[in-house]
Amino acid sequence: MPCGCRSPEPGRHPFAGGCRVGAAVAVLALGAAAGAATGGDAQFAEGRALFIGGTTPPCAICHTLKEAGASGAVGPVLDELRPDEERVAAAVRGGIGAMPSFAASLSDAQIRALAHYVAKASGGAR
Amino acid sequence: MTDSPLSLRRRQLLAGGAGAIAGTGLVGLAGEAVAQAAPAAAKSLPAFASWKDANAVIIHNPNELETKRSAFGTSGITATDHLYVRNNVTPPDPSILNDRGGWQVAIEGVRNPRTLTVNELKTIGVETTATVLQCSGNGRAFFPHKPSGAKWTVGASGCVVWSGVPVRYVVETLGGPAAGVHYLTGTGGETFPAGVDPLTVMVERSLPIEAMNDALLAWEINGEPLPLVHGGPLRLVVPGYQGVNNVKYVKRVALTAAESPASIQKTRYRLNAIGTQATPADPSVLGMTVKSFVTSPSGAEPVKAGVVYVTGVAFGGGSPMKRVEVSSDGGRTWIDAQFFGPDLGRFAWRQFAVPLRMAAGNYVLTSRATDAAGHVQPELRSENAAGYANTSWADHAVRVSVA
Repeated sequence: MPCGCRSPEPGRHPFAGGCRVGAAVAVLALGAAAGAATGGDAQFAEGRALFIGGTTPPCAICHTLKEAGASGAVGPVLDELRPDEERVAAAVRGGIGAMPSFAASLSDAQIRALAHYVAKASGGAR
Repeated sequence: MTDSPLSLRRRQLLAGGAGAIAGTGLVGLAGEAVAQAAPAAAKSLPAFASWKDANAVIIHNPNELETKRSAFGTSGITATDHLYVRNNVTPPDPSILNDRGGWQVAIEGVRNPRTLTVNELKTIGVETTATVLQCSGNGRAFFPHKPSGAKWTVGASGCVVWSGVPVRYVVETLGGPAAGVHYLTGTGGETFPAGVDPLTVMVERSLPIEAMNDALLAWEINGEPLPLVHGGPLRLVVPGYQGVNNVKYVKRVALTAAESPASIQKTRYRLNAIGTQATPADPSVLGMTVKSFVTSPSGAEPVKAGVVYVTGVAFGGGSPMKRVEVSSDGGRTWIDAQFFGPDLGRFAWRQFAVPLRMAAGNYVLTSRATDAAGHVQPELRSENAAGYANTSWADHAVRVSVA
């Protein structure tokens, strides 16, 4: 047992009586400035639309990706992570860490489009 | 805490027993030693950990930094700027550190539940505990089935000193546990935007209520206020338990009747078989078991032939260390190492060392720890889908070239 030092007579501590104080919960606002699509190809445009609002929840809520005007702050900043297509597709299909799998709600073509878009827009495309 | 400095003198050991000196060329390799190389792409430290020593860590990704095997040193305590980082989600805004004393934590599941500030916690008690902090995925790189997640080798671990108030004192001060509670549940202070189901991403972990006996609500690490990336202003520290259970930015500590419904509790951090999906019926990632690894030589650079001090660390998740053996031939033969440095308690790691006379050649160095209860570090990992809890001495071996 570790050795600790404590205040005497815990039963007489001012907190022993008990009164309830509510904790404030902050809610992050989602900044969703729209950026212009700059990639050009159709798969890029499809992936971009999926990223911004085509999945539940949308990728943009949790991730920052400048090209999409997304500033989500839950998951990694994709402009820093710069994942390639394979890495994006694996994360979307299987989930990773706190990110759930989207395999049940997206088609294979949609996942490929998302992967193409994120890799290209973040600079991770090989 | 007992302070029993023990220095290892080369002369003593050299004269003391020929058995302490081993010198053989490498024969076989028991396990697969993975080179501890930085990922190919050059990466920089994330802003919230910009003060880390970039030369001491491997940057897997912005939320996952690993201490290099060569960066542990022999002081026993892991320097905070060398300590690994693993965040399940991006840390909150640094502004939460602006008023450390005013940070609030709700204490529930006690007879007189209430919310307390850090300043108020400091009127209840104080305790200091050295613990091994280790990500449950440490050693994942050695799993041959390539589980997803960071490819941690040995350095998602460190030994650090925490200071804070014992949870047991807080609970007692608030009237003791409520009726029917079985778990100690901690909730992280990350906030999530509307549209995201909090249960999928929140960091909330439930442990057997006995964990309360050693747990701290800590505000200090290694002599300084707890940095944001390590959970400041306040972290639930649960000695002996895997890293994920030490909830950062803790905003709620609850004694609960049931385990948390969050994904991180129900279906993540479970020890399920390879090829299966984790369910709440699979064992949860809880306590750590006996493990050790060599820290020097690290394999990063060739070693000069002659007497080489092999050093490392051994720990047991709450059981004191009794013995560490070292092998230079991949586990074929073993010799006893000596513990050195202060004993920082049963939750800390103990340092060990042994001088070996090493001729030119290639070696596979590894260590095998035994705790006071007689548990011996195993040769083989326990296979599981996500690559958790690897304690294999074969996996953690390091290849060393002596010239």
